[in-house]
Amino acid sequence: MAIASEHAAQGAERRGRSALLTTVLIAPAGLWYLVLLVAPLVIVTVFSFGNRARNGGYEAAFTLDNYVRLLTQPQRMEPFFTSLWMAVAGTIGCLLVGLPLAYFIATRARRRKGLLILMLVIPFWTSFLIRTYSWLILLGKDNLGGFIGGVIGDPEFRILGTPFAVLIGLVYGYLPLMVFPLYVTLERMDRTLVEASKDLGAARWATFRQVTLPIALPGLITGSILVFIPMMGEYVIPAILGYGRTFLMGNALVDAFIQTRNWPFGSAMAVLLIVIMLITISVYVWFVNRGRLGRDVSVL
Amino acid sequence: MAETLDDILKRAAEHKVPRRSFLAAAGLLGGSAALAACGSGGSTSTAGASSGAGASAGASAAASAAASDAGTSFPPAGDVEKQLYMYNWSDYVSPKNMDAFKAKFGVEKFQYDTFANNEELLAKLQAGATGYDFTCPTAEYVPALVEGGYIQKLDWSRIPNATTMDPAFLNRPWDPNNEWLMPKDFGTTGILYRSKVVKEPVTTWTEFNDLIVGKYSGKTVFVDSMGDVFVMPLKMLGKSINSVEKADLDAARDILLTLAPHILALDSDTYQVKLASEEAVLCLGWTGPMVAMRADPKTADIMYSVPTDGTLFWLDTWVMLKDAPNPNATYAWFNFIEDPENQAEETNFNGYGTPNDAAKKFIDPAILNDPVFFPPEAAMANLEGAVDTSSNQQRIDIWQEFKSKIGS
Repeated sequence: MAIASEHAAQGAERRGRSALLTTVLIAPAGLWYLVLLVAPLVIVTVFSFGNRARNGGYEAAFTLDNYVRLLTQPQRMEPFFTSLWMAVAGTIGCLLVGLPLAYFIATRARRRKGLLILMLVIPFWTSFLIRTYSWLILLGKDNLGGFIGGVIGDPEFRILGTPFAVLIGLVYGYLPLMVFPLYVTLERMDRTLVEASKDLGAARWATFRQVTLPIALPGLITGSILVFIPMMGEYVIPAILGYGRTFLMGNALVDAFIQTRNWPFGSAMAVLLIVIMLITISVYVWFVNRGRLGRDVSVL
Repeated sequence: MAETLDDILKRAAEHKVPRRSFLAAAGLLGGSAALAACGSGGSTSTAGASSGAGASAGASAAASAAASDAGTSFPPAGDVEKQLYMYNWSDYVSPKNMDAFKAKFGVEKFQYDTFANNEELLAKLQAGATGYDFTCPTAEYVPALVEGGYIQKLDWSRIPNATTMDPAFLNRPWDPNNEWLMPKDFGTTGILYRSKVVKEPVTTWTEFNDLIVGKYSGKTVFVDSMGDVFVMPLKMLGKSINSVEKADLDAARDILLTLAPHILALDSDTYQVKLASEEAVLCLGWTGPMVAMRADPKTADIMYSVPTDGTLFWLDTWVMLKDAPNPNATYAWFNFIEDPENQAEETNFNGYGTPNDAAKKFIDPAILNDPVFFPPEAAMANLEGAVDTSSNQQRIDIWQEFKSKIGS
């Protein structure tokens, strides 16, 4: 606040110079945004109304065929729904694992904080593909899969090749993207608020629900969106850990672009995927914010 | 005994030519062999090199007669340029040959850039000029390259070593008059199996089918590739692998949907891992992992069968790009690589069969009699080249339906 008002008091000349500086500083990001986000989005949208060229690829046209085919054939929509529920389940999984972890690191870890954060980051130094491969071994017949099979006495039991294996891969792969935003918000939380809540007679759960959670909410929303979006488009995890049995949008897109080389149809799927994600995220954010407003009102 | 991550990664790395592997694009298997010429070192004199090329061009009048008709005129041969730009699958050309070529022709820079699949190659060419001299598409993609005007006809008089091609690879639908492509390597789609488990004969698709739905239900992997999977039902029916007849595909659909519940996985990238752990003992796949699996005592019992009731062969081909900046060096390379001894070195290096008959006498007989590299006579006679059927809507729908029924 203080900085803002100070800023407003600056002279006009100074303001002009800072506007120039702002432009210069924003230019790389703006260019990045334009070239790597806006342009591909426009191309994909244009392609989605085209035809498949005779030898595959894209041929300019204006047709709604791709969308009609998508929306009228139930089996074409299946990967959307599978992706949707896998991504929702994966986000919830990340939340269940990530929230306690972030809370612990932010409030209890003290001196070991840096070490724990480092341990979260270290896996990122290795290729995502290799980390996913390593789950093949962890969940395989020689390890967890075989062990559980032995315990329940079913030699045919397996984890790999099931939606559960994909879910484990998703939660593992994207967990840090959930933990970091949560950690940042929880770390800055004023601990005296929790003490005040307890002094005022709130039990642990009530304190968590009415004090900690609302404070963590921005991090929670950011984290959820950060993990949900890439999960919706995930290709590698279902291909490797799911044995190609859990067929997600990413896999359908690869089929369309690589195997049948029908770019317009693949583009239509991509556009629909974006629309579905936008709707899902909007509903989610609206829902969460409504809850917060409701609480704010009730506090008043 | 538990398999370590190390074993798996080592195998992945040894899996030399990750052709057709989508994940190669993602970087693990790619190992992009950027063999940019480092240290020009002792390059021989240009004069000597160009005279070499000139001599071969002169000695080849006979070779040209068959292929190049009178109406086509080619630019005259010139000096071999000092650089050459190749766009190819990764780890697909012997570095030894590249070095020998550089030394022989005084080429100082031989750039080797890689693509992960034909689609990437097509997209790159469609995007405009590339600066590459030549590339290596799979044969069924060549008509699209011709149609797009991306490649130029070959002047066979400048590739005299190419006259010893196995006729089985010539006059195929993708290049009926042998104008555009020079066969490079070929391979088959077949059946991999662990012979210490599978004692039954697996010589035909029908036998394979009976084992999948019977004794080894849930222990079979298929590669995730539409064109390759359709081979099996169509050949069981005695039809062409390229059939787009509705009745044929209806019958193929029945076979595939019967198979689907018995399939363990659709997997083009790690099927060798499943075979190694014996989670799968049968596999519809490619020869790629065979060499590495045999080398490991734990998996040395792996066998490869080329079904005698017919199967697909793929053929990778050398083609010259339209605006090749270094045409003379390209012809020099094309001729160099078809030299029988150099060609044998290619097979030894990349583990794929050569279509050049003259090279065979330089190849180890053990390799030559190995169905992994060269299918036996009975199977060879029934090989069929793939044409592009990926736009057929019925196939796409069946494929999708098959996928949704895997393992369920």
